Amino acid sequence: MEITILFAPLVGAIICGFGWKLIGEDAATWVSTGLLFLAMLLAWVVFLGFDGETRQIPIMRFVESGSLSTEWAIRLDRLTAIMLIVVTTVSALVHLYSQGYMANDSQFRTGESYRPRFFAYLSFFTFAMLALVTSDNLVQMFFGWEGVGVASYLLIGFYYRKPTANAAAIKAFVVNRIGDFGFALAIFGLFYLTDSISLDVVFEAAPVLAETQISFLWADWNAANLLAFLLFVGAMGKSAQLFLHTWLPDAMEGPTPVSALIHAATMVTAGVFLVCRMSPLFEFAADAKTIVVYIGAMTAFFAATVGLVQNDIKRVIAYSTCSQLGYMFVAAGVGVYSAAMFHLFTHAFFKAMLFLGAGSVIHAMHHEQDMRNYGALRKKIPLTFWAMMIGTLAITGVGIPLTTIGFAGFLSKDAIIESAWGAHTSAGDFAFWLLVIAAMFTSFYSWRLIFMTFFGERRGDKHTHEHAHESPWTMTVPLGVLAVGSVLAGMVWLSPFFGDHDRVNKFYGVPTHGEVRHAATTGGQGDTVMIGASDSHDDEGDNAAAGDHEGDPAVAGWTPGQGAVFTHPDNHVMDNAHQAPKWVKLSPFIAMAIGFVTAWVFYIGLPGIPGKLAAILRPLYLFLLNKWYFDELYDAIFVRPAKWLGRFLWKRGDGNIIDGFLNGVALGVVPFFTRAAGRLQSGYIFTYALAMVVGVVILVTWVTLAGGSH
Amino acid sequence: MTNADFQILLPEIVLAVFAMAALLFAVYTGKDKTAPMLTWITAAILAALAVWIGWNGEGTNAAFGGMFVDDAFSRFAKVVILIAAAAVLVMGEGYMAKRNLLRFEYPLLIALAAVGMMVMVSAGDLIALYMGLELQSLSLYVVAALRRDSVKSTEAGLKYFVLGALSSGLLLYGASLTYGFAGTTMFTGIVEAAAHDIPLGLLFGLVFILMGLAFKVSAVPFHMWTPDVYEGSPTPVTAFFATAPKMAAMGLFARVVHDAFGGVTADWGQIVALLSVASMFLGAVAAIGQRDIKRLMAYSSIAHMGFALMGLASGTEFGVQAMLIYMAIYVTMNVGTFAFILSMQRDGQAVTDIGALNQYSKTEPLKALAVLVLMFSLAGVPPMVGFFGKFYVLQAAVQADMAWLAVAGVIASVIGAFYYLRIVYFMYFGEETDPLDHAMAPAQWVFLMASAAIMVLGVVNLLGIEGPATAAAAALVN
Amino acid sequence: METLASDYLPILIFLAMAVALGLVLILAAVIIAVRRPDPEKVSAYECGFNAFDDARMKFDVRFYLVSILFIIFDLEVAFLFPWAVAFKDVGLVGFWSMMVFLGVLTVGFAYEWKKGALEWE
Repeated sequence: MEITILFAPLVGAIICGFGWKLIGEDAATWVSTGLLFLAMLLAWVVFLGFDGETRQIPIMRFVESGSLSTEWAIRLDRLTAIMLIVVTTVSALVHLYSQGYMANDSQFRTGESYRPRFFAYLSFFTFAMLALVTSDNLVQMFFGWEGVGVASYLLIGFYYRKPTANAAAIKAFVVNRIGDFGFALAIFGLFYLTDSISLDVVFEAAPVLAETQISFLWADWNAANLLAFLLFVGAMGKSAQLFLHTWLPDAMEGPTPVSALIHAATMVTAGVFLVCRMSPLFEFAADAKTIVVYIGAMTAFFAATVGLVQNDIKRVIAYSTCSQLGYMFVAAGVGVYSAAMFHLFTHAFFKAMLFLGAGSVIHAMHHEQDMRNYGALRKKIPLTFWAMMIGTLAITGVGIPLTTIGFAGFLSKDAIIESAWGAHTSAGDFAFWLLVIAAMFTSFYSWRLIFMTFFGERRGDKHTHEHAHESPWTMTVPLGVLAVGSVLAGMVWLSPFFGDHDRVNKFYGVPTHGEVRHAATTGGQGDTVMIGASDSHDDEGDNAAAGDHEGDPAVAGWTPGQGAVFTHPDNHVMDNAHQAPKWVKLSPFIAMAIGFVTAWVFYIGLPGIPGKLAAILRPLYLFLLNKWYFDELYDAIFVRPAKWLGRFLWKRGDGNIIDGFLNGVALGVVPFFTRAAGRLQSGYIFTYALAMVVGVVILVTWVTLAGGSH
Repeated sequence: MTNADFQILLPEIVLAVFAMAALLFAVYTGKDKTAPMLTWITAAILAALAVWIGWNGEGTNAAFGGMFVDDAFSRFAKVVILIAAAAVLVMGEGYMAKRNLLRFEYPLLIALAAVGMMVMVSAGDLIALYMGLELQSLSLYVVAALRRDSVKSTEAGLKYFVLGALSSGLLLYGASLTYGFAGTTMFTGIVEAAAHDIPLGLLFGLVFILMGLAFKVSAVPFHMWTPDVYEGSPTPVTAFFATAPKMAAMGLFARVVHDAFGGVTADWGQIVALLSVASMFLGAVAAIGQRDIKRLMAYSSIAHMGFALMGLASGTEFGVQAMLIYMAIYVTMNVGTFAFILSMQRDGQAVTDIGALNQYSKTEPLKALAVLVLMFSLAGVPPMVGFFGKFYVLQAAVQADMAWLAVAGVIASVIGAFYYLRIVYFMYFGEETDPLDHAMAPAQWVFLMASAAIMVLGVVNLLGIEGPATAAAAALVN
Repeated sequence: METLASDYLPILIFLAMAVALGLVLILAAVIIAVRRPDPEKVSAYECGFNAFDDARMKFDVRFYLVSILFIIFDLEVAFLFPWAVAFKDVGLVGFWSMMVFLGVLTVGFAYEWKKGALEWE
């Protein structure tokens, strides 16, 4: 079943990409869509029926080289199961949505076949993403990692006639290379230190790595910290975290379904997944985790501020994505991996829906993307409006405070903010405040989007407005499905993701404190997951057992890698979060409310304010509008010197020196000698004899000098 | 001097007696009218002797107290020489007859040259060496000037003769020095005298002998005669010059440096390396300026001799093996190429300008393809067999710690590729010109196609020449 | 190297003497001799008649042919002398060797005869 899930999209991609000429465009695209729905169905079956035990399903031998011996296998645990449903569900819905959205694309000339290509790419992306999340070793994961990178590149540049799309595709690819380089280095490092790339082996070695020093660049580092950091660099690239985020907004050049699938719901969350997947390592890398928290919090804040002033509907959502990814990293960084996964899970629903809704708006408005030209679309496209409303309610985190009733984002985002507070570290506090502020901004820009798009006056081209129309069923159905998810996903799955400690551990298949205790007291009578650990414990009670855990996790049976995520016995952040004071729990709601009210005042109540404010705070406005000038900065620091160097090596190095040398030799030196040889061949016998005599002289001199030692 | 000695020498004796008998027969009967018949008979006898030597030869046998050595090495060389001589006779017969050049002396001179070459590669003594060399050379001087009424041909013969005399002088001077310092003309005695430490006089003797031999293989700077003689001689004679004598001279070269001076590899190795580099580069560079295909092939052969010398320069058994393989391939390629050059005619007149090949592929696709294969092979483009020949010698050089020589060889072959590929360019992309004649003698066609086919099919296992070459190298170097 | 030089020392001395003597004779003639040229003295022959043609005239190629053939057989005879002197020592093998040699030469002779090389016209 798992194998079917993994390969169904690949089969779809191959049939659709190579076989469409045989079976026709429509059949090809529907085959790939159908296979995705099959995969989705199976994924849900797997997820709901999953018992939490980690399983490995070998597929084939992968790499055998020296001490490197790996299998291509599916690692099925809770993390994988979650990612399977996220990926397949969103992907299936996006496939369906694309049937409508891509039906008549003005980017292509009539008669051109682009749809099979699009669906093949989508399916190929899904396969690569599934390969990533099901990987059982790091190289396999890297394969998926690069596979999604390629698919992303192809899809961002899908409108290959648009220079901006091509530039964006290249930018995404190049920026991701930096992250991938870090990831690759981390894989090398892990292989170097553990002599294996298998996740199991690496996890088991994590405690050892924590005490290993490794020499890298100019200094000695703690191996666990260094490797975790390098992994995080990889995650930063893929998940568009601060400093490596610049590609994500530009990636909106791709068709909107692509943005929904790749740049909101799945690929960009691969970084979060990586950190959660490698949690056994991160748990032993305190410094790296701190960095994760800082970067995540700053990303959340930075992206939210930029989102405040963007006018392109897709860019707003893109920055929103960037910001939400920051949230997830904060959760992972403080060690509450399940909260990170929770937000990843809920975010996939409402962010995909927002994008698809935005796509629907764009579709209705004839590919107009500037919100300043929208307005009062509520009546024209009611289904889309309601979908977007639900999405916005979800992302801003609307719910009933202090209860567990609310939209998906309410529960998952609050979980993260509480976790940040619960870390009780300076990094955690820093993250907490930034996230609360970011929540306020999130609320503001999300409502701003709604108000500007669906309320107020009609703006922009009148003709376009008159022709605005609701999208076909293929586009609205996915919106509906996702809306259900956005509403319910949080409430239904709160307790396994962020409920009681034991409940969460059970969900992830992690042996809990309780189980260990249980095993200790029953003395091995029960069928426990723990082996060998039970005998060392007697009836002394919690404290002694806890103390032992703290002393040596491995001996106490806390083998890293058992279960989907691993939390260090010292890690009580989740428990702390649950016990957070009321003001902490209320703070995100209050922030959300402030954001909503401000947005309402600015765009419904007193529409003149934003313009005046922008005029008064012009430098700040420009600063935000230009995304903190990151692009300009990178352009000056990296791009232009690199281009200069490239041009230098091309014109001077390659053109003048290499080509010049070769051409010079071929056209100058060789013919010169050819002419010389021709002149020497005078035809006169005395010249010939002279040449021989000269040869005699040279050779005799040569041997006399060289062999004269005899 | 016993029966056994004559037994060993039997192939040479047979050939010599045949040549003399045929001479008397022809001169007393139909004179030049017998020439076609004599050509075929000579070719048949040469081929038969090649088969005989190739099949029957076994082990190492020394005759006349070691003056004449019959071993795997000499047999390898003799088979190549005899086959090449026979092939050249067969494919040149029509050409010579058509131009009224087919005198009955021609096949017999070739036969006598073959006797000389056989003695050369079997020489175990300086006297035998010189005798073989002169027998070969004198025959060649005459055939070079075979077209007596042509200024170019007589000029070629005279130049060859005068410079050949000079080189013989050098060689004799070296031989006398060697004799003076070694006290013997036997290679077995010389190798003892030059076991490890070589007296200066002996070293000079070696150098002068090598220079005499370098003239015969047309290594730079003793190559100057080659283009003029190739151009001036009748084309079948040129074909002969380019094949059998080269193999013989190379064999003799190897014989002298290994049998007589095998103990001082380093001393002659550097000389040979120097000759090799100079030949490769001059051959490659000078050929670029040539429009006459015969002159071009002359420079080509100079460059190829440079490569063969590279194998020798390594001074190892593998080097000798590489050289033998290279020479066998070289001879095969040249037989094919000259078969084609012999057929180059326009309105019955021989043409040697490479411009005449323009658009040849349009009129003669198959022949053009065969020539393309041969040119690629001569240039050393994989996967043609010519590449493997070069590969062998380069490998030998690298194994002998002469990487610089190998690098020089590669550069030279890159330069040299130009003029081979230019011929291909002319044939396929050149400008339209008057086409060459359609007709081609069957023998020429067969040799052209066979040679091209070998260049392609030989990649399988070099058609099995590796085994004999290994045995030959092992017999020579010990 | 030392022995080499000393071995060849007599030759060097000979060479030096030869060169010196040659120079002395030539220079002596230039320096000491009395020179009073008059037309009669500097003419080609003091007695007889003036040359009526260039001395370096072209010879017929047949002269060369004959002379070359002469040299070949002349050398053959020269080769026979040592053989004849040592005839008793070289034995049967020596005898037959010379017979073969002569036989080969005879073949050549027969060829050139039949070819017409010995005919003047």
